[in-house]
Amino acid sequence: MSIPKYPPNTVRSLLSTDYVTDVTRQVLTERLSAPSRQPEFFSAAEYSLLETVCHRLIPQDDGLQIIEIWGSIDDRLAENKSNGWRYDTMPTDHEAYRRGLAGLEESAQGLFQQPFQRLSSDQQDHILSLVQTGDAPGDTWKTMPSERFFEEMLAEAVENYYSHPLVQEMIGYVGMADQPAWNRLGLNNLEDREPRQI
Amino acid sequence: MNETVDAVIIGTGAGGAPLLARLAAAGLSVVALEAGKQWNPAKDFATDERSQEKLFWNDERLSAGNDPIPFGNNNSGTGVGGSTLHYTAYTPRAQPDDLQIRSEFGVGEDWPFGFDQIEPYYTEVEQFIGVSGPSPYPWGPMRQKGYALGPLPLNGAGQLMERGCREIGIKTSPAANAALSAGYYQEGVGYRPACTNRGFCQAGCNNGAKASMDVTFIPLAVHHGAEVRPECFVTQFVRDASGKITEVIYSRNGQEERQKCRFVFLCAGAVETPRLLLMNGLANSSGQVGRNVMAHMGLQIWGEFDEDVRPYKGIPGSLISEDMHRPHNADFVGGYLLQSIGVMPVTYISQMARGRGLWGQNLKRAAAAYNHVAGINILGDCLPYEHNFLELSDEKDIRGLPKPRIYFSNGDNEKRMTAHADKVMREIWDTAGAKNVWAFPRNAHIIGTCRMGNDREKSVVNADGQSFDIPNLYISDNSTFPSALSVNPVLTIMALALRTADRFLEKSKE
Repeated sequence: MSIPKYPPNTVRSLLSTDYVTDVTRQVLTERLSAPSRQPEFFSAAEYSLLETVCHRLIPQDDGLQIIEIWGSIDDRLAENKSNGWRYDTMPTDHEAYRRGLAGLEESAQGLFQQPFQRLSSDQQDHILSLVQTGDAPGDTWKTMPSERFFEEMLAEAVENYYSHPLVQEMIGYVGMADQPAWNRLGLNNLEDREPRQI
Repeated sequence: MNETVDAVIIGTGAGGAPLLARLAAAGLSVVALEAGKQWNPAKDFATDERSQEKLFWNDERLSAGNDPIPFGNNNSGTGVGGSTLHYTAYTPRAQPDDLQIRSEFGVGEDWPFGFDQIEPYYTEVEQFIGVSGPSPYPWGPMRQKGYALGPLPLNGAGQLMERGCREIGIKTSPAANAALSAGYYQEGVGYRPACTNRGFCQAGCNNGAKASMDVTFIPLAVHHGAEVRPECFVTQFVRDASGKITEVIYSRNGQEERQKCRFVFLCAGAVETPRLLLMNGLANSSGQVGRNVMAHMGLQIWGEFDEDVRPYKGIPGSLISEDMHRPHNADFVGGYLLQSIGVMPVTYISQMARGRGLWGQNLKRAAAAYNHVAGINILGDCLPYEHNFLELSDEKDIRGLPKPRIYFSNGDNEKRMTAHADKVMREIWDTAGAKNVWAFPRNAHIIGTCRMGNDREKSVVNADGQSFDIPNLYISDNSTFPSALSVNPVLTIMALALRTADRFLEKSKE
């Protein structure tokens, strides 16, 4: 199966129709027009590093507007919000991000004697792979399981990114246009308002 | 508020709401204290996963053990209606042998009563909330009554699972779901409209078609005179010299309030119920509060198909098979059921990140296949173990209360059952034409932290849900289940809640 592609502007045009409820329109419109954010929890250096890391985890090379997934992470931490649980082997989310970002720098210095952001994309990916498998060098990772740090950061980045209406457009999701009902269910059975692959 | 009410019910989910309605209908003065908000789904519930995170219990819990259990978007809920606000609405009945696991296999625990004690309540709940399902239902004993409504239409995942199962000889059926396949009149409540197939059960139904408690038992309770107080977080109990609870202390808008009462029904779910008891050092002469944590095996097998599936449409749990309830070649105790699953994109892709560890271009490629994915999952009975329990940690949450720590590790039996299911589901998907098949191991539904039983040394409450230590304290939620059952718990929680209420009312007459 080739990678499915969908036409642009599907979700955005549906938002102004009666296929979408008022409250759904409101939250998605807000997300579409969210302003760029200065960090409140992270330092400028941490924030910039997190942005670099997020670009490796989820490359944004589709020609779309850049989705600032690191901004939503800073926002959550600044607001002291939790997703309801954490691994018992991990420190608090705040501490985990602080230590984890410092750990990435430490691993970069240990392996390449350079700051993480000066490395090539391949070198950055190499470090991230080692963090993901628990094999990255550095004292930081002795205080916190790096594979859990990676998993948590990746999951949060993914949730922030794929919650964005522009990204949902890209994967052909129009589940928000659910009014008054979905009447065509089942395989290969599409309503007129559901985008076809191109 | 200075007046003494007959009963305070703590929690308004599947354990609290039916009981609240029953006691109110019997003429008792009852107040329900609910930690979460009262929502207006039509206005407040967006069809958007992110903004619906408000339905989850988001105070942090600590997940320990070899198979740490995620909370938040699974295994928890808050708001008037509790986690029924975001349950999938799957409502299979337990089978009689589910209640006799120890008698049948020599391990685990039997329920202190038989299936005959719960069956009439299954029928009552199914008819009242309007369960949609096939009649006759292909598994389990003959029934007094068919389902209230015919089954909901099959979606893409359901059709694919049906295709694979037919080929390899596994019997399937449209599932029983507590979402209306047609408009339904509910006694004491009014008319509820049919399901619009928006597939969003796990993030909140916006038209009342799904039988969450806020559109079923809660309005029934209010109709009979019950009072529901949202945003009231219970922290303490006052007791008299004899040890009976006389007052419940809770916090509302940061202020401490109190409610005097004759009886307390604790219905806060299998994490908050034992947590509240442990924080107050109550009802634990058995040492069993927080013990016997069980969590259903919920392995999911996902695949990509050539067909357009559009997994956001239709009831997520469309098709069922209970052929694996007691499979003849099993090398494990108990059994499991199979369910087709639809899924919303953020949930699916987040699981893919965690479960497959995909990132970079690999993640984006796999995510782009979203419209072509379908899943099957199991729901498997889980045994209680010494090593699985809940305790209070030293860490405080934002309310200044100790965070609960939940230890969970699957035992050998759970691993063998999961391996069996992995093979069966892969075969179904291979036969149905799936590509890029992958497995997401998980455990769902926290059960069993305040076990009910006949032996006060080994149980927290008796068969009526009454505390052995504090006679005017009852528990009604999934914490009292002696065994996990091989079905989704919610129908049994509701049925048991009605039974507990009836036993209490009978006893009060004596």
